[in-house]
Amino acid sequence: MRIIKLNNQIKKRFIFLLIIFACFSASIFLISYSLKDQIAYFVEPTDLKNMDGIENKYLRVGGLVKTNSLKFLDGNWVFEVVDQNQNSVNVVFSKTLPNLVEENKGIIVEGKFIGNIFVAEIVLAKHDENYMPQSAIDKLKEEGKWRGN
Amino acid sequence: MFAITPNTLSNFMISLSRYVILLSLALISVSIFLIIFLENDYYQGISFKIMFIHVPTAWLSLAIFLVMGISSIIGLIFKSPTAFTVARSLSPIGLIMSIIVLVTGSIWGNLTWGTYWVWDARLTSMLILAFIYLGHILLLYSFEHFQKADFAASILAIIGLVNLPIVKFSVDWWTTLHQESSVLRLGGPSMTNDYLITLLVSFFGIFMLTIFWFSNIFYIIVEKRKIERSILLND
Repeated sequence: MRIIKLNNQIKKRFIFLLIIFACFSASIFLISYSLKDQIAYFVEPTDLKNMDGIENKYLRVGGLVKTNSLKFLDGNWVFEVVDQNQNSVNVVFSKTLPNLVEENKGIIVEGKFIGNIFVAEIVLAKHDENYMPQSAIDKLKEEGKWRGN
Repeated sequence: MFAITPNTLSNFMISLSRYVILLSLALISVSIFLIIFLENDYYQGISFKIMFIHVPTAWLSLAIFLVMGISSIIGLIFKSPTAFTVARSLSPIGLIMSIIVLVTGSIWGNLTWGTYWVWDARLTSMLILAFIYLGHILLLYSFEHFQKADFAASILAIIGLVNLPIVKFSVDWWTTLHQESSVLRLGGPSMTNDYLITLLVSFFGIFMLTIFWFSNIFYIIVEKRKIERSILLND
């Protein structure tokens, strides 16, 4: 008799906790789902095509620095940010670039569009999740399996 | 599990703790040697080596919270003092781990990204995790009776469990400055084997240190309660 009573209590507590947890996770899910555009740290050049009123709006655009586009002209860094769909944005930046900004590597630029040119105020390098020593890359290059630059 | 009293668990862990700390020190020394002699990353250079502290502590800060949450559930459902004491002794370790993650991550971020801090999903959710740990500790010490404190703190730990998948999958769900996972991901680790082995050795070293630290905190809590109880009985 006592065991049955105990089991009932355990069941009640379990359901109580389950309801708390379910309500809370549902609310967190709804909040983060409705705020997903704000939570996203940057947009890709492809997303810009579907956005209206990007002129004079403070934006972050992320992608790769296009190969052979990084140049230093008249005291400004000029480059193109390109994404997987080959859409690109022309960027101008007047300060010092972070060390890791290289062609064909990840980048996030923060600033505004003036005409078709994105004038960046902040530039951040975005490195990917692949780590390997130079020797491993040389080996891959010998075998012809290396796809980077 | 529910039949184990805090006293039994504490004695068991303390009897093993000397082996645990020896193993931990051995693994940490090996990992320091490995880290020093490891070849630099082709892109990030030497700065990527901070990963061997950052990633193990990040895994542990999530794993500790998971254990804390599960033992809080067990504690609340089965009224198990052992489970409550496990949760109580884990939160300071988790707080220290998450502070280490945030600090090493900031240093690494400044060396590679070019900024100490941004409000992207991964960094923000990790900061929230650290604050939940802090809140858990504050709740534990803001009640006169430890049973009430355990009840309140376990509710917070269970609610905080919602944050764990957000921290883990934030880099997949939203665009972030933080890179995606390198080891615990679909398609296998995205690093060479020498890096992976170093990372795992470093992880198990810090993991054993955590176990040692945990058993000591657990022991102190149990002994303190014994003394308090004996004082009460003598009065």
